[in-house]
Amino acid sequence: MFKICFNLPKKPVMHAKRRYIIILFLIYKNLQLKYKHSVLGFFWSLLHPFLYLLIFLMIFSAAFPAIQNYPLYVLSGLVFWIYFTNATMQLSIVFIKNAHLIKSFNIPNTIYPITDLGSELVSFLLGLIPFMIIMYFMGLKMSLNLLYLIPVIILFSVFIFSVGLILGSLNVFLRDVGILWSTINPALFYLSPIAYSFKIVPERFKFIVKYNPLYHFLEIVRNVLYEGQAPSAHYVGRCLMITSVAAVMAFIIYRKTRNGFISNL
Amino acid sequence: MDYVIKLKDVSVSYLQNRKGLHSVKDFVLKASFISPFQKHRVLHHIDLEVKRGDSVGILGPNGTGKSTLLRTIAGIIKPDEGLVDVRVQISPLLSLGAGIELELSGYENMKIALALTGNYNKSTRAEMIEKVSDFAELTKEQLKMPAKMYSTGMLARLAFSSVMTAQPELLMIDEVLAVGDRGFQKKCKNRLHEILENGATLLFISHSPEEVKDICKRGICINEGIKIYDGSSKKAADVYSKLF
Repeated sequence: MFKICFNLPKKPVMHAKRRYIIILFLIYKNLQLKYKHSVLGFFWSLLHPFLYLLIFLMIFSAAFPAIQNYPLYVLSGLVFWIYFTNATMQLSIVFIKNAHLIKSFNIPNTIYPITDLGSELVSFLLGLIPFMIIMYFMGLKMSLNLLYLIPVIILFSVFIFSVGLILGSLNVFLRDVGILWSTINPALFYLSPIAYSFKIVPERFKFIVKYNPLYHFLEIVRNVLYEGQAPSAHYVGRCLMITSVAAVMAFIIYRKTRNGFISNL
Repeated sequence: MDYVIKLKDVSVSYLQNRKGLHSVKDFVLKASFISPFQKHRVLHHIDLEVKRGDSVGILGPNGTGKSTLLRTIAGIIKPDEGLVDVRVQISPLLSLGAGIELELSGYENMKIALALTGNYNKSTRAEMIEKVSDFAELTKEQLKMPAKMYSTGMLARLAFSSVMTAQPELLMIDEVLAVGDRGFQKKCKNRLHEILENGATLLFISHSPEEVKDICKRGICINEGIKIYDGSSKKAADVYSKLF
């Protein structure tokens, strides 16, 4: 039988507060590290989607005349895609990167992916502001419906966190999971209707895109950002289902693997 | 209740990779469906009681489970069996420079180190930072530089000072006392004695029996995961010396 107890007779509240302080500091550290010593700082993160956008506009806008307001269509998908790929890439190496801390401090291991997602979320949200302005000039309707973005982003973040936690946990044991993920990522990009519309996918291949979880998230994002409406209940349901499955899987995999972290890091 | 740490019949194991599977590639090529991990026991049935104000030196050859013991007490590793009861806040100094980011400045690193060791407090922040930089003997200019420009000694001083300036309840040190130049080492030892006089409990891993005798009253000797001696630090040092 194994039993472990940590009795802290003095103010157990302090413990929660300490955890909170650590989370804030690690998020701050991540953001500092990301932007501090680059000339363009924060603007680097805007450059990435911007470059893609330019390429798509130059090359593909003529190819898909059926899509109304193509620039807005691309950009709305693109910013969310970049959030997804950046965050999952970060999370896939989160435990390896923090091996030193994991071995030296009694801090719950989940804090590291939480702080990494937190800092990615902050840079995503900061980036969203200039892009919303650009989108406005592209014809985005400013209405209260945009507030639907908040639950959409929360749901999307939970999904990203789950995927990242699975990748990060497995990566501790099988070190090429991260490499594999960065190989799969571009494939996933082309399998997601970001630069093209789902309608143009040949009927017999449609199922492939449908099995891509990102397709469903892109639908609800576009409902709000591109169509200026509330997200459709059908896709919201799908996204909720996908997120719950991913979260349960992440929970199980993390629980199964976490005790081996110290011996394998 | 006059103990601060109590371990009863604690055994700890590591998961060891049985087949050398370290990647998905290996996994597919070797097509292993049996669990690739094997438990390797590091600590065997350890009993330990530490009272408030004790200073315990832990001696033993490399790879015999000293660090694992401290990590178990700190709650970083969970034991397979047995009871771990810790009743105070722990300030761990298990590896120097954990959490130091070379790209960030000394000040920023100091703040992060204080937060990680539980010594960060908004009301006393300015005072703490001053104390730490005083102790580390780093000037304001140096603290504004990114840590990658620091020498090894300066880095160690920065990390060490962030823990040593506070008055910890339970301090854990894993072989990292001898940092910096002679003067700084002396200062560290003096501060350590001061911390102990103020009633802190100390768990101290070292490979130097002299250091253990100097700092600790009590000594434990561990060999191959078994506690072979527990008593005065002088005798523990003898037992340790006879192992080789």
